[in-house]
Amino acid sequence: MKKVPEKKTIAVIGAGPGGYAAAFLAADLGMQVTLIDRDPNPGGVCLYVGCIPSKALLHVAALINESAHAKEWGVSFPSPKIDLEKLRGFKNNVVGKLTGGLGQLSKQRKVTYLRGTAAFMDSRTLKVQKLEGGAEQLRFDNIILATGSRPVRIPGVSIDSPRVMDSTGALDLPDIPKSLLVIGGGYIGLELGTVYAALGTKVSVVEMMPGLLPGADRDLVRPLAQRVQKSFAAVMLNTKVASVKEEKGGIRVRFEGPEVKELEQVFDRVLVSVGRRPNSEIDGLEKTGVTKNARGFIEVDLQRRTNDPAIYAIGDVAGEPMLAHKASHEGRVAVEAIAGHKGASFEPRAIPAVVFTDPEIAWCGLTETQAEAEKRAIKVARFPWAASGRAVTLDRTEGMTKLIIDPETERLLGAGIVGPGAGELIAECVLAIEMSAVASDIKLSIHPHPTLSETIMESAESYFGQATHIYRPASARGAGG
Amino acid sequence: MSTEVTLPELGENVSSGDLVKLLVKPGDRIEKDQPLLELETDKATVEVPSPSSGTVKEVHVREGQKLTVGQAILSLEAGDNGAQRPAAKRQAEPEPSAGKTAAASAASAPAPAPGAMAPAPSEGPGSGQAGRKAVALPELGENIASGDLVKVLVKVGDRIEKDQPIIEIETDKATVEVPSPEAGTVTEIAVKAGQKINVGDLILMVSSSAEVLPQGGLPEQPEPKSTENVMARAAEPAQAAEEPSVRDGEAPARGTWEAPAEAPAQEEPAAARALPNIAVMPARRPASGRSPADVAAAPSVRQLAREIGIDITDVEATGRGGRITFDDVKRHARESRISALPGAAAPALPLPDFAKWGEIERQPMNAVRRATARQMQYAWAIPHVTQNDKADTTALEKLRQRFSERAERMGGKLTTTAVALKIVAGALKVFPRFAASLDLAAEEVILKKYVHIGVAVDTERGLIVPVIRDVDKKNILELSVELAEVAERARNRKLGPQDLEGGVFTITNLGGIGGTFFSPIINAPQVAILGIGRSQWEPVFRRESGSDGAKGHFEPRLLLPLSLSYDHRIIDGADAARFLRWLAEAFEQPFLLSLEG
Ligand SMILES: Cc1cc2nc3c(=O)[nH]c(=O)nc-3n(C[C@H](O)[C@H](O)[C@H](O)COP(=O)(O)OP(=O)(O)OC[C@H]3O[C@@H](n4cnc5c(N)ncnc54)[C@H](O)[C@@H]3O)c2cc1C
Repeated sequence: MKKVPEKKTIAVIGAGPGGYAAAFLAADLGMQVTLIDRDPNPGGVCLYVGCIPSKALLHVAALINESAHAKEWGVSFPSPKIDLEKLRGFKNNVVGKLTGGLGQLSKQRKVTYLRGTAAFMDSRTLKVQKLEGGAEQLRFDNIILATGSRPVRIPGVSIDSPRVMDSTGALDLPDIPKSLLVIGGGYIGLELGTVYAALGTKVSVVEMMPGLLPGADRDLVRPLAQRVQKSFAAVMLNTKVASVKEEKGGIRVRFEGPEVKELEQVFDRVLVSVGRRPNSEIDGLEKTGVTKNARGFIEVDLQRRTNDPAIYAIGDVAGEPMLAHKASHEGRVAVEAIAGHKGASFEPRAIPAVVFTDPEIAWCGLTETQAEAEKRAIKVARFPWAASGRAVTLDRTEGMTKLIIDPETERLLGAGIVGPGAGELIAECVLAIEMSAVASDIKLSIHPHPTLSETIMESAESYFGQATHIYRPASARGAGG
Repeated sequence: MSTEVTLPELGENVSSGDLVKLLVKPGDRIEKDQPLLELETDKATVEVPSPSSGTVKEVHVREGQKLTVGQAILSLEAGDNGAQRPAAKRQAEPEPSAGKTAAASAASAPAPAPGAMAPAPSEGPGSGQAGRKAVALPELGENIASGDLVKVLVKVGDRIEKDQPIIEIETDKATVEVPSPEAGTVTEIAVKAGQKINVGDLILMVSSSAEVLPQGGLPEQPEPKSTENVMARAAEPAQAAEEPSVRDGEAPARGTWEAPAEAPAQEEPAAARALPNIAVMPARRPASGRSPADVAAAPSVRQLAREIGIDITDVEATGRGGRITFDDVKRHARESRISALPGAAAPALPLPDFAKWGEIERQPMNAVRRATARQMQYAWAIPHVTQNDKADTTALEKLRQRFSERAERMGGKLTTTAVALKIVAGALKVFPRFAASLDLAAEEVILKKYVHIGVAVDTERGLIVPVIRDVDKKNILELSVELAEVAERARNRKLGPQDLEGGVFTITNLGGIGGTFFSPIINAPQVAILGIGRSQWEPVFRRESGSDGAKGHFEPRLLLPLSLSYDHRIIDGADAARFLRWLAEAFEQPFLLSLEG
């Protein structure tokens, strides 16, 4: 009954960071791969209208802010003149270069890239409605769903007006509005708000919850909250948007909540960034065994296999956290599982999250908030950046690094960093957690001086009450922080 | 043109092996008979030669993977520039029929283009139909290639769940239930009770859950039966709906019709595949009740555990902060493998409800207990014989007392065990078989040229057997110091796996507690063990010289009871008696040691 197995055929629907990572690995493992997306090249939300364009603009924003800051060091520049078309061109160039590169990589790997929209005929048959016209019906051994997510629209707020944008609209840089209301104080709203504020827009943020970045540890958010108090026109917490109305010359917004000062305000533009929802309404999905949870995420096991054995799901459509690096990792796991690798499993100990605001906030693994909710015993070792030589040279001492440690084993369970460059720094903590490092491993690893990475080492030192650059009398030691 | 090279027959009764090393890679030009890979079977490691020459286009297998006879290894491009040919051209080539491919010799058959629509070889109704999955016999664990099918547990038409047992088979290790890797409705059963079944053989076909329709299948999508039908089906909606068009001949080439006989073992998730193994092992909950997320182990270590089918929460850690190392996982794997051996497979007696008769308490077995239980149960299968003797240690005792202070100054204690170590080391040089192991598979006796001896140590966690290295190269004082130090580390749980490995013989001294003779159990794969009881003053009759009768007198002598258990498969009774006599005489005249040892 033995038979020569043929080359496995797989389809990947959606060419975001999850989809293209999966497709490329599948090709590398010798499968015959079809990658389906509407965009001209692979990239998905992340490269076309997400991570990449937002970071290109945030880089420019950082430069503007820094040059203004330089006045305090005796270097003044005239206020910047912004050529919006050129700026947009830079951003589009970045996107074009990266997505074009992915197109090349997919050709080199002999991945068949189909531009179009995929629908299911059955568990293993897809009908692709092609962008260039016509449709194709294809059959595969396995199918990977990597259809990502899209911005949530709020009825009555996301009204049909060019002045009311979602993140994609805001990244288009239609103009530099005089005033912008960002609805939702999550990371996307704050990042884009930072961009527009730097370009000269008066940015207001409205958030329903009592603090910005709900879910993140408060001590990490505090330095950012303090800074946006100055750089933004207003931050309205505990406040809801009651109604949005277009009128001549602007959008009239009505607020609701205990702390509302001005009941109504008019804004040039409004950015709705209240979250993202999975793209799990795929045509014909009901003809398969795939199941979804109450929030619309596709249910998967550790190998990212859905309830239908032929179908896998990865990335934003398969659950939180909706982050590009999580999507790619899942993509590789799913493909390895399809290839029959027994070791394939998605079980990270730490997924880093980075907010690319100014200052940046980054964390990974267990958070203090989570530990509290789970009533889990932890010790927190903090190191304030005021004691970091590098931070002082940058004139940015509001930052803080903290390690969350298991008091029993002294293992690192989580880490949080706020300050410029936090996003780059957090990677070390991810590795430490994955390797089950104990506090003394970090303490005993020499970190380069003068860099901000020393704050991680000194946090570990401070766990033992021995940080070189903080003096803590013996009596205060062991207090855990 | 490309050909698929499959794993050829390897000889009698060898149906599979582990791929140890790949010797070629894509792009390599190879000659006929050039070795492609190194395969380790349970018989030997063999190099598998190529049946033809050409350029390696693609390698389908990975190092470490288990291969079965007939499995595709790689595709070979016969022409020199074949690999460079554009994909489109390849697709335009006429597709050979599946029958032809199978019949043609490997060297000359034009293999189907990648992704070709080879119709399913089986002629069963609806083969190749959407959603049909073949369920083949998965791997059942190390060195098990086949079994006798005892019972089929499902019938055609049954709806089965994933992991539901579908057949019961008896291997030479145990009887196991084979779980289904698929859920769905059984459409065909390819086996019957009483037959022999090999890993990879088709058991049954299921039609997958999502695609089971109440009656009549999918009316609007007629079942394609051949290549033409596939095309027709792809084209159908195009004609019906006018707008979508199908690229000629290309569309279906991108996907494949299902090949029902393709071994599903290839694509099953690790958990499902490990199941038959688990069924053999006694069910055991992680003693710690830890969740996988709490386990301290690097990603590569966790991956290793998954690859070899081990629950990482079961592994005992030796690293700082409870970290599990690579070696911890491997050691655990070794230990649990022992549990899959004959003894452990014996069904546990059903236990009565003890609580009926009074209060009870359940305590989890710790790792030492579990390891001892497994090891002892395994050792039980060895044909043991125990030979007893007494050694006169009166003279030795005097010497011991004279030198004990010296040993204490060095930090040791001049115990009977320390002396016994030295004496046994001497005996093993004279009788090397007592330090041997038996390789039944190879029908060989393995003699060891080193003298590492295990010493049983009683700790609060249970019995631990640290190994003293190179006993023959150390004097008794050095041994006494090392013994004291090792015993201390054993009690403080400071011993690493390397401290417990490599012994060729074991000594267990219960004299400190009491008792005379007992029957120690061999510490397999060793073949002999020496038990020492408590020495006692006894009257020994001294015959008068020259007299031939009962003339003489009784003398108080200090006698040490010795019990030697040995593996009768390799050691004969006479040899054992000689070995034990040698030991006894060495205890009586330690001088013998330096003379012969
Ligand atoms: C403004 C913004 C900033 C962000 N910044 C970051 C950041 O800094 N770091 C980070 O990690 N993450 C960031 N994200 C999130 C990140 O973009 C997503 O987590 C990531 O793109 C998810 O990848 P994915 O592969 O799941 O799918 P996506 O990238 O969402 O791609 C899915 C693709 O599938 C296509 N598709 C959907 N349905 C079909 C269908 N039926 N047929 C064919 N194609 C289909 C879609 O058109 C899309 O191209 C950001 C997101 C936004 C909006």
